[in-house]
Amino acid sequence: MNNARCILSMALWGGLPMVGSAGAPVDFVREVRPLFEQHCVKCHGPEKQRGGLRLDVKKAALAGGEEHGPDIIPGDSERSPLVRLIESPDADHRMPKNGPALSGEATALIKRWINEGAVWPDSADATRLGDAADWWSLRPLRKPPVPTPAAGSLRNPVDAFVLERLKKEGLAPGPEADRRTLIRRLSFDLLGLPPSPEAVAAFVDDPDPLAYERMVDRFLESPRYGERWARHWLDVVHYGETHGYDKDKPRPNAWPYRDYVIRSFNEDKPYARFVREQIAGDVLYPGTVDGIVALGFVAAGPWDYIGHAEVPETKTDGKVARHLDRDDMVQNTVGTFCSLTVQCAQCHNHKFDPISMRDYYSLQAVFAAVDRADKPYFEDADLTKRYVTLQWRQKVLSQSLKTLEDEAVKRAGPALAALETRIANAAKAVRGNGVPESGYHSAIAPSPDVEKWVQLDLGRSVQLGEILLAPCYDDYAGIGGGFGFPRRFKIEVGDDPEFRSNLSGLVQLSQEDVPNPGTRPQTFDARGKKGRYLRVTALKLAERKNDFIFALAEIRVSDADGKTASSGAVVTSLDSIESGPRWARKNLLDGHYPGLLSGAKGPENLAGLRADREKMLAAALSGDQRKSLAQVREELTEVAASLGTFPKPNLVYAATVHYGSGAFSGTGPNGGKPREIHMLKRGDVKSTGDLVDPGAVTELGNLFDLPAHFELPAGAGEEARRAALANWIADKKNPLTWRSIVNRVWQYHFGKAMVDTSNDFGRMGGLPSHPELLDWLAATFRDDFEGSWKKLHRLIVTSQTYCQTSLETAGQEAALRGDADNRLLWRQNRRKLEAEAVHDAILQVSGKLRDEMGGPSYQDFVIEKPEHSPHYEYQLHDPEDPACHRRSIYRFIVRSQQQPFMTTMDCADPSMRVDKRNESISPLQALSMMNNDLTVSMAKHFAERVEAESADLESRVARAFELALGRSPAAEERQALADYAANQGLANACRLILNLNEFSFVD
Amino acid sequence: MMTRRSLLQTAGQGFGALALSSLEAAEGLHPSATVRPRAKRVVQLFMGGAASHIDLFDYKPALIKHHGEPSDFGEPVEAFQNGLGPWKRPVWDFQQYGQCGKHLSDIVAPLASCVDDMAFIHNLVGKTGVHSQGTLLQATGFNLPGFPGMGAWVSYGLGSLSDNLPTFVVLPDHRGFASNGPKNWDSAFLPSQHAGTVIYPGAETPIADLFPGKAGAYITRDSDATGLRVLQQLNGRHAAPRLDDGRLDARIRSYELAAKMQLAAPEALDFSKEPQHIKEMYGIRDDKRVWPTEINAEEEADYMGRKCLAARRLLERGVRFVQIWSGNDNGFPRRNWDSHEDVERDHGPLAWGMAKAAAALIQDLKQRGLLEDTIILWTTEFGRMPSTQGGKGRDHNPYVFTNWLCGGGIRGGTTHGESDQWGYKPLDRDNPTMVYDIHATMLHLLGIDHTKLTVRHNGIDRRLTDVHGHLIREILA
Repeated sequence: MNNARCILSMALWGGLPMVGSAGAPVDFVREVRPLFEQHCVKCHGPEKQRGGLRLDVKKAALAGGEEHGPDIIPGDSERSPLVRLIESPDADHRMPKNGPALSGEATALIKRWINEGAVWPDSADATRLGDAADWWSLRPLRKPPVPTPAAGSLRNPVDAFVLERLKKEGLAPGPEADRRTLIRRLSFDLLGLPPSPEAVAAFVDDPDPLAYERMVDRFLESPRYGERWARHWLDVVHYGETHGYDKDKPRPNAWPYRDYVIRSFNEDKPYARFVREQIAGDVLYPGTVDGIVALGFVAAGPWDYIGHAEVPETKTDGKVARHLDRDDMVQNTVGTFCSLTVQCAQCHNHKFDPISMRDYYSLQAVFAAVDRADKPYFEDADLTKRYVTLQWRQKVLSQSLKTLEDEAVKRAGPALAALETRIANAAKAVRGNGVPESGYHSAIAPSPDVEKWVQLDLGRSVQLGEILLAPCYDDYAGIGGGFGFPRRFKIEVGDDPEFRSNLSGLVQLSQEDVPNPGTRPQTFDARGKKGRYLRVTALKLAERKNDFIFALAEIRVSDADGKTASSGAVVTSLDSIESGPRWARKNLLDGHYPGLLSGAKGPENLAGLRADREKMLAAALSGDQRKSLAQVREELTEVAASLGTFPKPNLVYAATVHYGSGAFSGTGPNGGKPREIHMLKRGDVKSTGDLVDPGAVTELGNLFDLPAHFELPAGAGEEARRAALANWIADKKNPLTWRSIVNRVWQYHFGKAMVDTSNDFGRMGGLPSHPELLDWLAATFRDDFEGSWKKLHRLIVTSQTYCQTSLETAGQEAALRGDADNRLLWRQNRRKLEAEAVHDAILQVSGKLRDEMGGPSYQDFVIEKPEHSPHYEYQLHDPEDPACHRRSIYRFIVRSQQQPFMTTMDCADPSMRVDKRNESISPLQALSMMNNDLTVSMAKHFAERVEAESADLESRVARAFELALGRSPAAEERQALADYAANQGLANACRLILNLNEFSFVD
Repeated sequence: MMTRRSLLQTAGQGFGALALSSLEAAEGLHPSATVRPRAKRVVQLFMGGAASHIDLFDYKPALIKHHGEPSDFGEPVEAFQNGLGPWKRPVWDFQQYGQCGKHLSDIVAPLASCVDDMAFIHNLVGKTGVHSQGTLLQATGFNLPGFPGMGAWVSYGLGSLSDNLPTFVVLPDHRGFASNGPKNWDSAFLPSQHAGTVIYPGAETPIADLFPGKAGAYITRDSDATGLRVLQQLNGRHAAPRLDDGRLDARIRSYELAAKMQLAAPEALDFSKEPQHIKEMYGIRDDKRVWPTEINAEEEADYMGRKCLAARRLLERGVRFVQIWSGNDNGFPRRNWDSHEDVERDHGPLAWGMAKAAAALIQDLKQRGLLEDTIILWTTEFGRMPSTQGGKGRDHNPYVFTNWLCGGGIRGGTTHGESDQWGYKPLDRDNPTMVYDIHATMLHLLGIDHTKLTVRHNGIDRRLTDVHGHLIREILA
């Protein structure tokens, strides 16, 4: 290399490259490379690689850039884009871009060099790219031997590695923590909850030398364990229950994925299976619920509703939205499982890791067919398949029907169009009023037994003949005719506007529920009755949608002579929704009601018109087409009947081939055919390059002996792509997968990972503090434990390293000076509790925490304006609502407006993949801990609880102290709290205890 | 464990974190603070829904001349909603103002007296015409969620000027959040105390959790004051054997700062001592309690005026970054700038109210000597089309729109970058201005090199300006 450099500088020294004689072949080192150095490498070299091209490295130069493929074609200077570019007559296109054009001499030299085969000696590859394999995380995973440090306390191999390293630095580990500290530490770590004072006492007094190990086993069997550790996983995969972006709509069916994660931890599902299920469980574990709901992983992140639902894929904005969507899926998958930052290769090859742009787009191609949507499923996978197929068949048939009908319409011409208009008008008349004024609509009642009335003042006492009540028509909740028509009612007439005692004026009283009359007007004989007022009272209201109302389209009163007596009457009612033209009391007298137009003329007329239409269409179609039409209709009926036999499917928000319509149609309508994925120059959707196949990372595939190019059988469905990627990641030969997960688990146990960038094991990430230990753990987890989380936890938490005190002990001054961050683990780390642990602990010590597991999330907010952009109003929520007194893993997680208390406490932002939470301390946090509704209301319950459990003030504050901190207060502490409680009340004292540093920190 | 110093830098408290800045302000500065600062504070005025550049600030006589003629953009245009109609002239007339002779629309005429302090940029371009992406791009520099708002970066980089008020305050439209809501002022991967603190001046609860709510009837000032003493006594006992853990001491002091904030924040938001002429200047109408149901200019001025006056008071008391929003989400009736249906009806009151209040803020800061080190930025997610979309409204125009800046280090009376004759795209399409340039320039004025204010997140050194950003030297004083 030095030699090459030397020659190079000499050439430059001369100012001009030496031109070889025509006879001898061009010498790359002496003649060509100086030209590259002088004119090209500023933009196409180590600093910048404009257009993806660099001309200082042989391999890169001959492979070429993003835009032209290889820029140098050995043997053919004519076809080499490099030559075209340096010779271009167009100054805008000519290279070098911001410099003088190359001389004719220089150009001729380069051309000749190419024509001679572009010989570039390996020895002259002056700045060779680093060896891709030469990085700790990419090396094969082998189990290193366990060291045998000379002395020290060893409980298991973890300690051997840690101790060996400490000794090397001349440091010693700390002593073991006391049992009180250990149980609180382990309880928060494995369960996310504080231990009860009783549990603390029992453990402290347990004479069994294996008491700790038995406690570890007990905790790992607790369902609380899965609830605690699932939350860590949900941080990493950025799980949320709304879409994010604008119009942040809820995802009411996201929770089955959350339950899946909890279940997987509690069942100790082998990690490889856990990985495979989340990428391709539907293919690899058919017939299991877990295989389907696990796909919630791919859909966990944010989704741009507007960019998908309102902008089609044909528009640039729609393309951008879908590109970002797939990018999120790729990042989530490779970042979560392999700790690689593939997203950096979106606009150019990864600058530090062996990931090419093509690799990145190959990964996008894996997810090219799926979208995020509600996925219907049954426990029985075959049933699911049949159901989805039938649903799809229904869509296809409807489409064929439409095509045939459109064809007929086209052929039938204007006569049909005219007929359609008549049919539309007639149908509208039958269904609704044909006018916007629907009728009268009462206020909404929560139950059917609320009485509501509406009343006419005819202006004078009238001898009556007939009363007509016309029902409304409204499509709301699919009700249609008879909307709001009372199930039971009475009609009275009389001269007392209050109808205090007027049994003689009773025209009608229904004793039983009346059938829904549809839009048929109801008439009642009122002959012999007289009165100025007429009142219709609903005795049993009609159901709307989980609520009840009274609505009428028209009331018409005829006198004994058959003349209308109700025109100009004054309408009053118990209550009324007066809303625009549609609903108003005055509509009762406007002469418009659905039944009016559907009398003798209406339905028959409509039926007749429809028959005419059929005839006209049939005449317009060919014989074959008529046959097809009949077939399609018949099959549609059959499909609808088959679908009717299915139970209601379950739904999970997951990655799925989406059968949609409008802008968000998904790939279902194309039979689930994956979208074509092209390389995008600079990540710009308008600059498409090569079409790419699905695949993984090529260089890594070579390194790991796991081919990154998926050999998929011809005609393989999209799911084969996901299955291939899942297998590529979960393979034992992929060292990243196994290193990544044990590093994460370590991080949650110690508050600090061995590799402090858990989401990045590339060259921009950190180096492991204990590389051998990391590999030993990863290999043990993979091979000996067969991916068992619980075995891994047990190994780690029973180590001496884990059980050390977190306090600084005598003799450790050197450690504090040399390794203040405790990278080498000369003591345990003191942990500040995460938002969830704080929340759950507050509920638990207050005696309010309910241990109900699973199901839809609790919502600690009120949604306003759900129809547009939902407003999540946390301050309107009642902190006393027991529905919310569950563990915070069951909280409904909103992306746009995050829960303020949890956010101030540094909970994970569901829009980001969070490998490690922020840990902040601020006055805003202090204010939240003091004044948030949660602490303020729970402190009261905390006080009530200890009041019930202890006799006097001193023992009450002591009990509260023990519940919250797992230890008895010292005399000074007890005194201070008791005095405060005496002066300011027990609730204030309990609130104070929740605000202690000791409540939020675990030694 | 952690010393206070290492805590400051590694536990990610930021470099002037509220809890610590007063003690270590000088050494707490981020290494990116290498430029001589011209400004200390920022007000960002954000028009949610996309304000029309051509109806307010970017004078296009060609549109008046060709009003009503079929629009011809000279190329296919991909509009957000389909169906572009004829050219549509600006709804209001334009006049020239000030020494610089800047054209302003009549509807923003209250700003006329400020034009010689303002710098206009008419060739801003966005990335897409989708509100959420556009809003995030202008607010955080990225068109997807998960990145810190500009105020959060400034808070992280420069820290606080006050130890009893938040560094970054957000005054949302009282009718609701604009697109993306709090994601626009999120701290994302920066520590949570750098997120914008939402304040609703004049509301029943202006700051969440500053005081206990209804459930806290048992809590009094006295119980809190004595409680704080007991709390600190017990916390001190707990911390004594753990002195090497700086977090414990930081948390003890955070309770003292919280108590200070409880005093300072209500005082900052109390307008009762503001003289009547100041309130009038901002358009604040204490005499009006009931407003018409239709959107109207006086009401909009009152709302915006209250936010701007609150902003001035907060800036005076050491808040570093105030973000003021005009316009809520895209519900109906429109209370934002997304005038697809009727520019005159919806832009009119919003624009006049904004102009009245913004002009008052500029003048008021100036008369107090605060304008010289306070930057004001007026922005929006994108512009609107020079044609109708069939009726009286205009569709989204991410291809060009306007920003203006004013105050600390900004050269007044300038216009940089032009749009084409229609206000459809930049006149020089190869050299548009992007949000990165605006952000780079503002950070520069605040004394920060935008390429150096970075945080490593998921393998990438993230910065406000992504991998872009050029100083706009033409608008620097």
